[in-house]
Amino acid sequence: MTPDALNRLVAQLAKLPGIGEKTAQRLAFHVLRSPPDFAKGLAAALTEVVDKVRLCPRCFSLHDGPADTRCGFCTDARRDDKVLCVVENISDQLALERTKEFKGRYHVLHGVLSPLEGVGPDQLRIRELLLRLEDSPIEELIVATNPDVEGEATALYLTKLLKPLGLRVTRLAQGIPMGGDLEYADQATLARALSARREL
Amino acid sequence: MERFTDEALVLSCVDYGEADRLVTLFTRAHGRLTAFAAGARKSKRRFAGALEAGTWLKAQLVERRGDTLRLDGVDVLRSYHHLREELPRIARALYSLELCRELLRDHEPHEALFDALRGYLELLEERQAGPTSLLKFELDALQHTGFRPRFAPCALCGGPTGARPLFDPEHGGVVCEGCAPRVPRGVPVSASLVDALARLQAGERTPLPAELRARARQLLNTFIAHHLGRRLKSVDFMEQVGTD
Repeated sequence: MTPDALNRLVAQLAKLPGIGEKTAQRLAFHVLRSPPDFAKGLAAALTEVVDKVRLCPRCFSLHDGPADTRCGFCTDARRDDKVLCVVENISDQLALERTKEFKGRYHVLHGVLSPLEGVGPDQLRIRELLLRLEDSPIEELIVATNPDVEGEATALYLTKLLKPLGLRVTRLAQGIPMGGDLEYADQATLARALSARREL
Repeated sequence: MERFTDEALVLSCVDYGEADRLVTLFTRAHGRLTAFAAGARKSKRRFAGALEAGTWLKAQLVERRGDTLRLDGVDVLRSYHHLREELPRIARALYSLELCRELLRDHEPHEALFDALRGYLELLEERQAGPTSLLKFELDALQHTGFRPRFAPCALCGGPTGARPLFDPEHGGVVCEGCAPRVPRGVPVSASLVDALARLQAGERTPLPAELRARARQLLNTFIAHHLGRRLKSVDFMEQVGTD
């Protein structure tokens, strides 16, 4: 009979996205075979991430500072207070950070408007965004939601709310990706690339 | 495992696992189908931009064990990307797709509804579909799937609906004042609304005034929710973004 502790570990691992029963079992055996320090380190890291990592009350990105304090993105004085980039989730924020091109502030919506899934404006951090704009010197707001139907709907909804406030609302450019192939580009991408062409 | 190709409209798409997607398609010859698109989230070539809701495509499908098929490849026939330029057009498109998704059953073809949906998306793409066109599309969709609401004559006695009709989804539509005692759950509706919806159902395309549209929307929402057993999710979205 398999030990209960092992069964429990497999059951917990199998709850992770993309992990099936067999992969969970393989991971559990890997943990068992590894030196005990590995398992202890893993358990400590899991506990620490749950205990310490929280959402920044300003931009709703992640940070591990004391409660009610702002994250590094919000407190970094070298960042431009006049430009705010609105992203769907934290992984999108990290992707933009990797470019090292954007030096403004962020606001994480934690989702997009999704009519077919019943996700409306109230389920996103849109109200917090509007409150934030009241006491910020923001002049430009970059809507960096994905260029799919839900992302476009979110961008248009934000534009409808924010344009009347006199802000400059911009959208990430859309078109052919670097190293891409025109032959394999879809109609929508090619059409957008054509309409947003630039002079050389 | 049988392979086949069919024309399809993408009704919805959900992420599955790390890199895959489950796509609900409205195919012309096979009705509603759910297909597994392996690697759809990562591949930039195989399904590039093709699995967005509303896209009209030619789908290469393979039957597997169970209900879900495998989507092997697609050729986009029209992406209807211009309708994504305005929020009301997105909201209406997604509403029409959700309505069809919920009205249809798997493997039951509805060619007339397929053409009606494609025609409606075409109108949205060309900026020729306002709020009244959506009401018209809904009436058509209900008719094609056997849920046609009856606006005249009286759904119970077959007589004229009169000046003070009632609407009762349970009995399939409008009943006259004389039959009112037989429909305790009937809701009073104005004769002008009943007349407008009857004309729309008969094919008239005159845009309805906003006030009449709002009442028609409410009535159709009640009717659709009664027959589907739940309110469509995109109805709330349309209300939240202030469009009809």
